[in-house]
Amino acid sequence: MQRDKFFKEIENVRHPNETLVKTHCSYCGMQCGMNLRVNTKTNKIIGVEPRYDWPVTVGKMCPKGVTAYQQTNLDDRILKPLIRDDASLKGTKEGFREATWDEAYDLIVKNFQQLQRDYGKDSLSVYSGVSMTNEKCYLTGKFARVGLQTRYIDYNGRFCMASAAGGFMRSFGVDRGSTLPWTDLHETDCLFIAGSNTAECHPTSMFRVWAVQERGGYLIVADPRETPIARRADVHLDLRPGTDLALANGILNLLIQNGHVDKEFVNNHTNGFEETKELVKEFTPEYTSELTGVAPEKIIRAAEIYGKAPNAIVMFARGIEQQVKGVDNVSGYTNMALVTGKIGRPKAGVATFTGQGNGQGGREHGQKADALPGYRKIANPEHVKAVAKVWGIEPEEMPKEGVSAYEMFGLMEQKVIRGLYLLCSNPAVSAPNLNYVREQLKNLDFMVCSDFYLSESAEFADVILPTTTWSEDEGTVTNLEGRCIKINKAQEPLGESKPDWQIHVELCERLGRGKYFSHLKTAKDVGDEFRLASKGGYADYYGITWDKIEKQDGVFWPCKDENDPGTPHMFLDKKFYHPDGKAKICALPYRPPAEEPDEQYPLRLTTGRVVYHYLSGNQTRRINFLRDMCPEPYVEVHPETAEKYNIKHEEFVRLYTRRGEAEYKVKITEAIRKDTVFVPYHFGDDKSINLLTIGALDPMSRMPEFKACAAQIEKLELKKVQ
Amino acid sequence: MKKRLYLELENCIGCRSCLAACTQCGGHEERNRNYVYDVNPLVNRQTMPLMCLHCVNPACARSCPAQAIQIHETGAVLSALVEKCIGCQNCTIACPYGIPKFDTEQNLMYKCDLCIDRTKDGIPPMCASVCPSNTLQWLTDEEIEAKQKQFNLDNGKWVTSMPYLEGETNVRVNLPGILQGVTKLF
Repeated sequence: MQRDKFFKEIENVRHPNETLVKTHCSYCGMQCGMNLRVNTKTNKIIGVEPRYDWPVTVGKMCPKGVTAYQQTNLDDRILKPLIRDDASLKGTKEGFREATWDEAYDLIVKNFQQLQRDYGKDSLSVYSGVSMTNEKCYLTGKFARVGLQTRYIDYNGRFCMASAAGGFMRSFGVDRGSTLPWTDLHETDCLFIAGSNTAECHPTSMFRVWAVQERGGYLIVADPRETPIARRADVHLDLRPGTDLALANGILNLLIQNGHVDKEFVNNHTNGFEETKELVKEFTPEYTSELTGVAPEKIIRAAEIYGKAPNAIVMFARGIEQQVKGVDNVSGYTNMALVTGKIGRPKAGVATFTGQGNGQGGREHGQKADALPGYRKIANPEHVKAVAKVWGIEPEEMPKEGVSAYEMFGLMEQKVIRGLYLLCSNPAVSAPNLNYVREQLKNLDFMVCSDFYLSESAEFADVILPTTTWSEDEGTVTNLEGRCIKINKAQEPLGESKPDWQIHVELCERLGRGKYFSHLKTAKDVGDEFRLASKGGYADYYGITWDKIEKQDGVFWPCKDENDPGTPHMFLDKKFYHPDGKAKICALPYRPPAEEPDEQYPLRLTTGRVVYHYLSGNQTRRINFLRDMCPEPYVEVHPETAEKYNIKHEEFVRLYTRRGEAEYKVKITEAIRKDTVFVPYHFGDDKSINLLTIGALDPMSRMPEFKACAAQIEKLELKKVQ
Repeated sequence: MKKRLYLELENCIGCRSCLAACTQCGGHEERNRNYVYDVNPLVNRQTMPLMCLHCVNPACARSCPAQAIQIHETGAVLSALVEKCIGCQNCTIACPYGIPKFDTEQNLMYKCDLCIDRTKDGIPPMCASVCPSNTLQWLTDEEIEAKQKQFNLDNGKWVTSMPYLEGETNVRVNLPGILQGVTKLF
């Protein structure tokens, strides 16, 4: 019920024969409020109208949000189950025929049961995503562990939020992506934003970011590129990709040296200060500059501003998290807030920009290889007991921990995993080291893919199940603030498509596991069971009812019971979630990226997003407006680097690494470091930059290092006319 | 209370949400009617929207031999009337900002009408409704006056708060440079 200075009472336009359905965007963690316009004669979604009364985004939307409605009734929708009998066509769009649901289910059951008979329960795997409701994410975990009885389930959050989760768990003992609501952002005095291209990836945060500067507050941005947000920053820390931890340690050292330590807070509410102080001593501005490539004056100025700011918020995103030290980077930057005590009160804290729509909720409720609903751990017998009780199974029946998303491909290579059920994800574009990953998908004995379009990954499937878009089902999503919100249904499922939770229930009934699933007749049934399963966990959703979400404009977890209004601000009582109630200041030795440039591969390759596309682009590349604005990937090169290679703007180059190569058009720009090249990752087939990226993983979060590897460029003399 | 479109060019992040949203207004036949430019694409990421400024004495309407361009009572300069437009394209040449677009298939000019079916009822136009960076805002004259005072800066290099660019316009603009006049908190 926050009403800040941006909130205005504005009526919506209502056209004749139209109704407005209040909901949120299908894409990123901002979960901007929107109204879908539905024609009351055809009952079809025909457009969008701003949702001025949504307190976080007050009607604002990025171009993806404005055009999101077009997904639902696009000609590309898969309307019936598809079966491909000729396995030699895997990896192509060819050979699929339409089938009935019964035929598709029968084929899946036959193959899944055969594989499990021959190779054991764990020969099947589930690979999921978090661009879907809590209800679906929750049931996917139960589907794998109770329905298929396999240990191998993981999800695309390993490429998204896993490092933030790991870092927050270590620093705070709890992983809520933001310690404060977004409506605090514009009221702080300093935003320190690292590795976030906010203007392109979370554009509707920008009016609050600019408002900080308009008030005379400061904006500090750490990014190898001069992104639209870095362009206006008071200090732009233009670091080498993969050197964040050095920068974090360097700034922490200055904060300590310059007397910005909140001694009372550090003594009473944290552990690890002395050890960390010793470790960061070495990170003088000069040494930090040597490692990061950032001028010492900038590091000093950034530390001075953050240190002096009465209130400040440290924010970060995939830029720092998609590294082999992503978890350390998160804890490293979080240290800044803990040492200065700028946390646990309004307008000060730490936040990550959650990538996927339900990146927060989806990682809390049991799709992760090691986790169960309510952020419980499979390794903890008490946790297993609590969830087993809700599921009606014996604790002994609970499968053990599995492996992370990228590691599942390794098990496919070893033929440990032989069958795959893929939903809500497109790893044939989004995973690193794609030549390897695509090979493993091709070699599976049997693969099912649930999607609403024929994604690049669906091209490897034997059976494709047509699922619904976000607008054809209801449920809850937890946005980047940790606020649980309601997605509403605007249209009946197109063709024969079904929501994933329903597919899971029907499939489990045919697999002889119906007694655990048949009582789930609606999304709300799933939601109620999920609330119960989360009860008592770290991420307790028990008190988050759909009514309360409606009444309060969303509910922040933890929310333990009916009378609990939820928790917009974390740690107001200065109590953290480690057993002793203290936060951990982490002493983190610096280590370089897994692959450093050398003579053969002298450039640093980094990847990221453009404002027009979302994740693997499976949705946004099909929307005319978005495709027209950015139809293909390109490589950003600094003019001095381009001159060295004798490359001109819009010429074509071959970009290659130890793992793969691709051809790109060159975009010359001074807004990038001379030692770095950048390619957006939203594109498929031979245009995927992930053909080149490295599969090196963070030891804790198992997050691949998308953001830094060594590459080389070669000018293509003759390029066929496109 | 009368509100106006107000542009703060410094804020633009180049997302082109305003163009996407333009297609969503009832009378716009899903075609966007404004522009966003990369200011210096080989150098940096600065962008700026170029919106119809809804001139008080609009050159497009004056140049129209068929009186196809009407001015609404709110001051909005409307798109050409289908039944009157003769497709001469005078307006596209006359406009100092290059706003009117031309549909060669329909032989018809079309331009921003400030989402007249929204703004006639005081509802903000689609572009200003969605703009994630507050480059485009829908404000009262009092709010605009406060903005202009806040950003009134003439330091010999920049004039950020100008009354009008050419002739008097209904839309108000603040040029890049607003932050130079801000007093820092500490």
